[in-house]
Amino acid sequence: MSRIGVFICHCGENISRTVDVERVAAEIGRHPGVAFSTDYKYMCSDPGQTLLKKAIQEQRLTHVVVAACSPRMHEKTFRKAVEVAGLNPFLCEMANIREHCSWVHEDREEATVKAIDIVGMMVERVKKNRVLAAITVPVTKRSLVIGGGIAGIQAALDIADCGHEVILVEREPSIGGHMAQLSETFPTLDCSQCIMTPKMVDVANHPKIKLYTYSEIELVEGYIGNFQVTIKKKARSVDEDKCTGCGVCMTKCPQKKIPNRFDQNIGMRSAIYVPFPQAVPNTPVIDRDNCTWFKSGKCGVCQKVCGPGAVDFEQQDRLVVEAVGAIVVATGFDLYSINEKPKGSAIKGYGEFGHGKIPDVIDGMTFERLASASGPTGGKILRPSDGKEPKQIVFIQCVGSRAREKGISYCSKVCCMYTAKHTMLYHHKVHDGQAYVFFMDARTPGKSYDEFWRRSIEEEEAVYIRGMVSRLYQKGDKIVVMGSDIAVGVQVEIEADMVVLATAIQPQKGADTLAQKLGISYDKYNFYSEAHAKLRPVECATAGIYLAGACQGPKDIPETVSQASAAAAKVMTLFSKDKLEREPVVARVREAGCVGCFACKKVCAYGAVEEKEIRDRQGNLVKIVAYVNPGVCAGCGTCQATCPSKCVELDGYTDEQIVAMIEAL
Amino acid sequence: MNKKLNYSYYPGCSLHASASEYDLSTRELFKTLNIGLTEVPDWFCCGATPAHNVDELLSLSLCAKNLELADKVEGDLAVACAACFSRLKFTQHTLEENMTKRKQVEKAIDAPLKLDGKVKHLLDILARDLGLERLAAAVKKPLSGLKVACYYGCLLTRPPDVPNLDCAEAPTIMEQVVEAAGAETVAWTHRLECCGANFTLSRPGVVIQLTNAILESAKDAGADCIMVGCPLCHGNLDIRQKEIEGVYKADYNLPVFYLTQLVGLSVGLGADKLGLDAMIVNPLPLLKEKGLL
Repeated sequence: MSRIGVFICHCGENISRTVDVERVAAEIGRHPGVAFSTDYKYMCSDPGQTLLKKAIQEQRLTHVVVAACSPRMHEKTFRKAVEVAGLNPFLCEMANIREHCSWVHEDREEATVKAIDIVGMMVERVKKNRVLAAITVPVTKRSLVIGGGIAGIQAALDIADCGHEVILVEREPSIGGHMAQLSETFPTLDCSQCIMTPKMVDVANHPKIKLYTYSEIELVEGYIGNFQVTIKKKARSVDEDKCTGCGVCMTKCPQKKIPNRFDQNIGMRSAIYVPFPQAVPNTPVIDRDNCTWFKSGKCGVCQKVCGPGAVDFEQQDRLVVEAVGAIVVATGFDLYSINEKPKGSAIKGYGEFGHGKIPDVIDGMTFERLASASGPTGGKILRPSDGKEPKQIVFIQCVGSRAREKGISYCSKVCCMYTAKHTMLYHHKVHDGQAYVFFMDARTPGKSYDEFWRRSIEEEEAVYIRGMVSRLYQKGDKIVVMGSDIAVGVQVEIEADMVVLATAIQPQKGADTLAQKLGISYDKYNFYSEAHAKLRPVECATAGIYLAGACQGPKDIPETVSQASAAAAKVMTLFSKDKLEREPVVARVREAGCVGCFACKKVCAYGAVEEKEIRDRQGNLVKIVAYVNPGVCAGCGTCQATCPSKCVELDGYTDEQIVAMIEAL
Repeated sequence: MNKKLNYSYYPGCSLHASASEYDLSTRELFKTLNIGLTEVPDWFCCGATPAHNVDELLSLSLCAKNLELADKVEGDLAVACAACFSRLKFTQHTLEENMTKRKQVEKAIDAPLKLDGKVKHLLDILARDLGLERLAAAVKKPLSGLKVACYYGCLLTRPPDVPNLDCAEAPTIMEQVVEAAGAETVAWTHRLECCGANFTLSRPGVVIQLTNAILESAKDAGADCIMVGCPLCHGNLDIRQKEIEGVYKADYNLPVFYLTQLVGLSVGLGADKLGLDAMIVNPLPLLKEKGLL
């Protein structure tokens, strides 16, 4: 015989303003099985919890229902209190009479009747709750970091410095990411390479970091604490163990006119190459699409000149499996290529800007390479078309960003600051030049950011024009910029020598495919979604996977580094225990009735359903049934709703309980 | 065997007046291409630029009534004038999205609205319904050696979500059509700039400045002539050209053709069937020089 205790919370006035809590307590007290009912101003407060614990002991309660706010808010609080009082915590349920009742109704009488119904339903449900024990899963204390830009590097170093092994996977031949491409960084104008490359070297030398460059994630299986990750090591055609990084192969390679993507295709490289001289690892890779040997079977110069014999044309892609307990996703961003409308995309191009057609209309990253001391021009600002120094330069902000009609509504966050920086770098290098900036707003929240922006105007003589540009066209060797100055209300035409577009930040190409492999969610732009915008900003909703950097949304370097360290801290929190406790609200299969149709397996979004063999005592296979791995199951209940033979049930939400709740109405 | 194409036809006021050569050449071209064209009975003005500046409901109702009339004739609605095309498309777009306005308009024209009839510019019909291959197959006298600057003006492709004729800011449909007719096209910068439109009456100074920039750009790009799909643009570029040459001390001498005139020429129509005599900048010396007449 159950002795159920019901506790009705006023939530200050949040509930009691619309619901007659005393009447609810009185009426529910007469409900069959209820041994005790009362109401209190704040059940979650210390006196409220004491009241609950005392009642459990004095009234010898067997089950508890707390009628208050949403279980998302305080279920943990009350279950803990119940446990302290000596009851199994899963014999406590919450009836939500705030969000589901008092907050959404005005009529006191109707709200009170509804509250009584809600509490009555929960009483019927809790009667059939089972005693459950927390599920423990072992934790593999190794971590995978995907992406070797500044976010991935920071997260990997932080985790490794705590003594845990890190597998760092990077798609490109070198780590460094976009930050390695930048010239100087705002708001201090320190050289990006100078602060970045030491960190890259730290990664290479760290005994706890295992680096896979030129590699991609092929498959992710398992769950928090126990992931199995298959990594594809693409064929580098150079043996990493033998190569000394002397670089002779690159100097002797006869193919030298291949546009280098690291230099935004304005610099050239050989077919066997490292993307930039400070690359980590300093091991070249053969670009098979452009290598004469791979195209025609002739040449092979690199192999002949390589002293240690590291060049290996026969090398194949290789799959490696690594076991890890946590995953940090740090895949970063890409710049929106605006020259044409991508097929099948809601995002429209900017045909009117002639990007890709007019050679001296470049994007912000290309300007970074021009301004970089290690770039293709040695740090001189020169036009890609004729190598002349531009004397009039126009910067256009918000190209792609904040343009709903063009398909991207968000702000790319870093462009205002980097454009201000570009005007300064330009002014430092071209003393007699003039920079103009077309802008909608200058968004400079951040430490020392606004001062930096002001400096570009007040000391570095950049002319800011508030208004947008409608069209760019080539006229002789000038680019005519047709824009508007909305402060004065006139149309403006500037004949520029070069135009720099601050194009929108987008997630890396293939971000959606990777998300599908990882089982994490992403928004319509393919940015990865955090579990909670404010309170869980570095965790994914999928347990054991964390986010760092611009793969989650546009970010600058300081913010990216902070988030990477935060993600690392979350990984370390997970690794601080040997075993992981999980809430036992998971699905169970009634094996006797299961016919092995695996409809449940098809619908499970978490990959929790496995196939299990049932054998008799002689070891003969009787049948194959579904088995829900409690470590992976998220308790969503989709399998329960799908099972045609009604043989999967979610603890706490069994069909029997749901029917009992309906009957209580 | 391809089915014969049939359209209802909304010429619009200009084509019965200042742009009669556009009307003539359209009818002759379509006859030659064996495309049926039935003029919408009792059609009237779409309201053009003035109506929607004065009274939106009036503007929408004028077009809605014309659409209703067009619905009674077989086939999609073929429109030649860029402004009529724009207003009719705008009306469909607005009334599809705004139920309040739709109810008001239905009351004004005293008829229920059907908005699923397709409104098509001639370019769309030539390039997509007929298709560039069939168009090219019909060409008897390719416009070889003729360098054409295709001028879209403001209304054919914009605003981006309304006419849906081609990419709003980097269209190619005019170039595709006239290249199918054997002409060369030039890459030039002012394809989509405004000519000043009907300010030609109230602020001619503005129009002269804007139109000059267009003519200058076409000339600089090496064009022999300009091709348009809008009577108002035509008026500014053609009728005002002499005056502009005087103001800017320039020598453009760029004949301004309607797209149907050039395509008509390529399918073998003679000068009399294309209304070439109605053009102010005389095209005959150019066409003779290129061996096209």
